Amino acid sequence: MYRAATRLLPGLASFVVVLVIWELAGRYRYVNPVLLPPPSVIGSTLWEIVRSGALLEPLGQTFLLLFVGYALACLFGIALGLVMGRSEVIYGLLEPLIELLRPIPKAALVPPLFLFLGFGATMKITIVALAAFFPILIATIQGVRGVDRVAIDTARTFGCTGLALNLRIILPASLPMIATGMRVGLGLGLILVVLAEMLAGDGGVGYLILDMQRSFAVRQMYAWIVILAAAGLAINAIFVFVEARAIPWRAK
Amino acid sequence: MTAFLKIDAVTKSYGAGPAVRSALRDVSIDIQRSELVAILGPSGCGKSTFLQIVAGLIPPTSGQVMLDGKQVSAPPRDMVYLFQQYTKSLFPWRTVLQNVAFPMEMQRTASQRLVRARCLEYLAMVGLGGCEDQYPWQLSGGMQQRVAIARALAAEPRVLLMDEPFSAVDALTRLELQSLVLDIWARQRLTVLLVTHDVDEAVFMADRVAMLSARPSVVASITDIDLPRPRDTMGTRESARFLSLRHGLLDTLLHPTAHVVGNV
Repeated sequence: MYRAATRLLPGLASFVVVLVIWELAGRYRYVNPVLLPPPSVIGSTLWEIVRSGALLEPLGQTFLLLFVGYALACLFGIALGLVMGRSEVIYGLLEPLIELLRPIPKAALVPPLFLFLGFGATMKITIVALAAFFPILIATIQGVRGVDRVAIDTARTFGCTGLALNLRIILPASLPMIATGMRVGLGLGLILVVLAEMLAGDGGVGYLILDMQRSFAVRQMYAWIVILAAAGLAINAIFVFVEARAIPWRAK
Repeated sequence: MTAFLKIDAVTKSYGAGPAVRSALRDVSIDIQRSELVAILGPSGCGKSTFLQIVAGLIPPTSGQVMLDGKQVSAPPRDMVYLFQQYTKSLFPWRTVLQNVAFPMEMQRTASQRLVRARCLEYLAMVGLGGCEDQYPWQLSGGMQQRVAIARALAAEPRVLLMDEPFSAVDALTRLELQSLVLDIWARQRLTVLLVTHDVDEAVFMADRVAMLSARPSVVASITDIDLPRPRDTMGTRESARFLSLRHGLLDTLLHPTAHVVGNV
């Protein structure tokens, strides 16, 4: 407890210092409080949003889209990564294509996706899935290729081959790498879902932030940004929590 | 009588044309049922390659391995390989018990309750009672190799192939594990092929020691180890016969050219 406190304290102190400077800068008019309200004002606006229950619907919408898209990315990324990591033929077949598509900033694909999928949930799920897919795929391929020969040979001597080898040995052995890719993918997915909501104008936290700015509800805009930051922090913490329990040998 | 495990003119070379490098050349050894044969050789002589060919993990360039009259082309079910690198050989996502249960899961012969009971039995046999719910990476090196031994036994093999199994543990643990394996070998009537670069280990454990030469490796000599069994960790090692056998083998290792006699 004491050690945790001494570890967290410096970071917390700098956070408080920034808040205080920000507050004072607003109070004494070093910055225009209309454009950047002090934290106390944003805080009370935030509290109103939370208390009124207005928080739930947009947040729920945004994160549902994120999770569906992310789940699809994990499913396809890990499955294709396994196949590509295990088969030289399929790797040779698909690798150039993937290297071509991977560097495209996925944000640039939002406008063309509007054309095919409209402005609704399908488009947003697709763009999240696309953004998260590539880091998960690449990490899975690397993880699969890096599985130690001894582990594979051990399994083979016990008659574990084919699909059983892939599911019981290759997949769990590459899990630490896969998790790294999944973490990068989750971050990209969050960025893309917010961006897609802003461009689509069809609800969600991303849309709200843009809408508040346009209607000059500056305090609300900042409050929603804080909500988004907190939600992002929360899902990252959940990810770390689950990861530590799913891959306890990673630290070793 | 034909040998239980017959290694017949096994040759392994890498590359092709002028760049071809030979690791093994015409290695032939006949191993009887329940025999413990040690393969001794200088480091880098292709001992591990040899054992992996016997296990069916890699194919020989020419020659063949016959187990009980059947040619080995893939890892046979009743042959188990014990790796030197136990940390990489144990599966870190499985508990000790789940590691030991792995071969039985693959064979799908026993009910879950029976699997558990048998795993606990093998863990007790290697002195790891009470460790079943821990993970391998929570154990010391010597304990990890014991888990690997228990897992090998759980496959109920007829042949145990050991690739320098004790070279990565400390000296004291090595002595303990050598005696442990001898006990189990005697109890289960296993056929064991032990690859090692440790002359003492070979003499202490084996019925016969086959010496491989430097690359390209041929069988330089085969020595009968006529020490009485059961062998004692200290007594056997201090006996005059042990020392003279050890002397002869060390001499061959240190002065190889004087002794090469071709294939046996």
